[in-house]
Amino acid sequence: MITLTIDGKKIEVTEGTTVLRAAQANGLNIPTLCDHPNLTPYGGCRLCLVEVEGARTLQPSCTLPATNNMVVFTDNERIRSARKFVLTMIFSERNHFCPFCQVSGGDCELQNAAYEQEMTHWPIQPAWTTYPVDASHPYFVLDHNRCILCRRCVRACGELAGNFTLGFEERGAKSFLVADLGVPLGESSCISCGTCVQICPTGALIDRSSAYRGRETQVERHPSICTGCSVGCTLDVLVRDNNMMRIEGDWTSELNGGVICKTGRFLPTVEDRTRIVTPLVRRDGKLVAATWEQALDAVAAEMKAQGSKVAALASPRLSAESLHAFKQIFKDHLAASTVTTTDECAATANLVKTAAALGHAFEGKLEDLHTADCFLLLDEDIVADHEVAGFFIKRSLPLGASLVLVNEGAHPLDLNADANLKFKKGTLAAVIQGLRAALAQNHTAVSDAAAQTGIAADTFLQAAQKLSEAEKPVIVFGKNLVSQGEALVQAVIELAEAAHASLLSTKGQANSLTAALFGLSAPLNLQDIKAVYVALGDEEPSRKLTQQLEKAPFLVVQAAYTSQLSGMAHVVLPAQTAFEQAGSYLNLDGRLQKSEAALQCTEDVRANLEILQALAAHLGAAINLNSWSAELNTAASPVALVL
Amino acid sequence: MAKPKVSSDWMCGCAGCHMSLLDMDERLAQVIELVDLRSTPITDLKEPDESGVDVGVLEGGINNTANEEVAHYFRKRCKILVALGDCAVFGGVPAMRNFVGEEAALQRAYVETESTDSEGKIPDDPELARMTPVRAIHEVVPVDYHVPGCPPDADVIFHVLSELAQGRKPDLKGDLLHWH
Repeated sequence: MITLTIDGKKIEVTEGTTVLRAAQANGLNIPTLCDHPNLTPYGGCRLCLVEVEGARTLQPSCTLPATNNMVVFTDNERIRSARKFVLTMIFSERNHFCPFCQVSGGDCELQNAAYEQEMTHWPIQPAWTTYPVDASHPYFVLDHNRCILCRRCVRACGELAGNFTLGFEERGAKSFLVADLGVPLGESSCISCGTCVQICPTGALIDRSSAYRGRETQVERHPSICTGCSVGCTLDVLVRDNNMMRIEGDWTSELNGGVICKTGRFLPTVEDRTRIVTPLVRRDGKLVAATWEQALDAVAAEMKAQGSKVAALASPRLSAESLHAFKQIFKDHLAASTVTTTDECAATANLVKTAAALGHAFEGKLEDLHTADCFLLLDEDIVADHEVAGFFIKRSLPLGASLVLVNEGAHPLDLNADANLKFKKGTLAAVIQGLRAALAQNHTAVSDAAAQTGIAADTFLQAAQKLSEAEKPVIVFGKNLVSQGEALVQAVIELAEAAHASLLSTKGQANSLTAALFGLSAPLNLQDIKAVYVALGDEEPSRKLTQQLEKAPFLVVQAAYTSQLSGMAHVVLPAQTAFEQAGSYLNLDGRLQKSEAALQCTEDVRANLEILQALAAHLGAAINLNSWSAELNTAASPVALVL
Repeated sequence: MAKPKVSSDWMCGCAGCHMSLLDMDERLAQVIELVDLRSTPITDLKEPDESGVDVGVLEGGINNTANEEVAHYFRKRCKILVALGDCAVFGGVPAMRNFVGEEAALQRAYVETESTDSEGKIPDDPELARMTPVRAIHEVVPVDYHVPGCPPDADVIFHVLSELAQGRKPDLKGDLLHWH
C-alpha cells in the first residue's frame, strides 16, 4: 500500500494507482476530458494537472502513479490558471460555438469543464478553420469541427470493441480523426457498435436518432437487458415522453462494461416493421379486427378440439416467465405433440442433455475471456452472432493472446489467427480428435485426422502448441457444434480437460438456455398437426419457419410485428416488444437478469405473459406463475446458474 | 450619490439579449430605481452622453466598420463596458460566416438565395459600412465584464446590472454562467 496526501487528506491506495484515481476514490474532484474510467489513462488533454510538492512543473494526475509520501494539491491559483489555459487552447482550435450544438446545456464535458473553471469568454478566439462533417454513417454523424482530439473514441474503438477502425492522422493542431486509412465512416470497417458515440465528450460524434431531441436532464433512463443474443448486455433505454431516444451501454456493468453492439444500440431505434395493434381473427378469408375475448375464444376452442394434435413454438427471446407459462399450457395441460422453440434449442439442447448425463456444469464464465491468453474458436463465428463476447476476444489479441481458428469457410478473424484450421465439411469431430492427438503428441493419430479433415498435420501441431503454451486458454463453441449431437459436446469437454482450458458456448438467443432447461427443445414435427400456436414476441420469423407453417390447418401467431407468418394466421394476438414488458433472461453465463418495462404501448397490445395467462384461463389450464425459477434451479445446467 | 448612468446598444446580434433584458419584467422597475438609464436602442436617446456614463452594455459582435465605431465610442464614453450575450462575447451565431469568408457569405445572401428573382446585386454604395470578419467585442476594444448566454437569462442580466449599479463586481458562476 502507498500513502499519499491530496489536498491535506491522507489517502491509502494500492501500488500502481494513479493520482487521479486515488483522488476520485476519495471523493476529491479533479476535472478531466480525455480520461474515462473504462479506458486506459492517456494524458492527452492536460486538464487534470495537479501540483506535486517538489516537482518543477504541474503534472497530469491521470497518468501519474501515486508514490509514497507524495503531497498533491488539486486546486490553487497556479493550477486554475493552467487549466484555463488548456481550455483556452482547445477553444481556439475548432468550432466550439455552443448555441447550435446538440450537446450544449449539460451534456457537453467541454462546456461543463469551462463552467467549472468559471470561464466567461475565450481569451483566444478561434482560428476559423473549417473541417468536414462526415454524415456517411447510417447511425451517427461525425462533425470534425467539434472534435477536441482527446482520442477517447479511438481508444474505445480499439480497447473496448477491439475493432481498431478509428485512428488519427497528422500531428498537433492538424491532428485529424480518420476511419481506416481515411475513408468515410459509412464505407469503413466500422461495425456500428456506437461505443465511440457514447464516449465522445463533445458534440463531435452524435447519434442520428436522438440528436436535438432532448438533453440528458430531459430524458428518463430505464435500465434494461438486450434480448439480441444470449450475452444479455445490460443497457439503458433513454426515453422522452414514451419515445425511445437512444440506447446506451451501462459503463458500470460487470457483464459488458458499457459496450454494446449494433443490435443492442442502433437496431431498436430504427425498427421499421409494422406493429400489430389489435387482435385479428380470420373471417371469410380475411383477417379482421376482433376483441381479445373473440380472439382468445377462437384460439381456445380450436386448441381444445385438437388437443395433442397441436404444435406449439415459442421464441427463445421470450422471458423465462413466459416460456414457463407456455410450457405449462402446451406441454403439461394440452399435452401437445410438439412443444418447442423457434430455434429448437439447437445451440443449447445438447448442452443441457450432456450436463444431465454428467450430473454437473462443465462450462466456465464469460469473464474468462478477459483473462484468457489463448482462444480456440471451434466452428463459431462469435464476432457475428454474439458480438460483445467477440469484442472481448478481439480486444485481447493485440495484447498478446493467441487465436486458434477451427472453421469450415472464411471467418472474420482469419487474419488474426495464429493457427487456422480449415476443415472439410462434416469432419468437425475428427478435428477435435486431431487436436487431442496433437496435444498428446500422438503423431500417427494427428496424421489420420489430417487425412480426414484436410488440415495439415503441422497446423494441428501448431494449434496444440499455442494451446499448451497458454496459461488460461478458453475454448469457444456454439450452435454449429452443439447441434451435431451430445457426443461432440462430450468430445469438446474432453479436449478442454486435455488442454486445461475453460469452456464457453454461445447458447443461441436471449433465453435459449432457459428454453432448453424447460425442455422446450423438441424438433418441429408437423405430421398430423391440426393447429399451430407460435408465440413469436418481437422475433422476426425465419423464411424456413414461414414455409413450414404454410399448410398449417389452423395457425395462431402471438407477435409484436406483422410478418408474412402473421399474414397467414387464422388468429393474431398483438404482443409487446421486449422493452415494453418486464421479464427475466438467463444469459450464456447462467446469470439471471430481470428487466423492467421501459416503454408503454397502446391499450390493446399485451405482454406475452399476460396473453398466455389469458389463454390458460380460456383453456381452463391451471398454471403456476411462480415456479419457474425453482424449476430452473433443479434442472441440470451446462453452466452454474446465478439466480 | 447620483445614480450610475447606464447606456446600451446592439450591433451584430439579433436583439434577443435586449428581449431577455425586458424579460426581467417587474424587476425592471427595481433596476430603474437603481440606475439612470440613458441611451438604449429601444428608447429615444440612441447614444451614450458624450460626457460619459458609468456602465455601457453592448449586445452583438462586430461585423462591419459601423459596429467598430459603436464599440470605440462606447469604450471611450463608458467607465465599465459589458459584453452582453454570446455574439458580444464569442462572435456567436453570426461568426459562423467566418468559416466561409465574407465573399462567399455576400454571394449566398444577395445572389444565390432561392428568393433572388433577377441576377442579384451585392450592395456596394460607398455610404454603407464595410463588412469585416465577425469579431467578439474584446477583439476590438477591451471589455470589463463578459456575460455569455444565447441569450443570457433575465436573472443573469438582473444580477449583472444590480451588482454594477451598487458598485460591486458581478461574479458569474454556477447557474448564472451559461454559454447557450
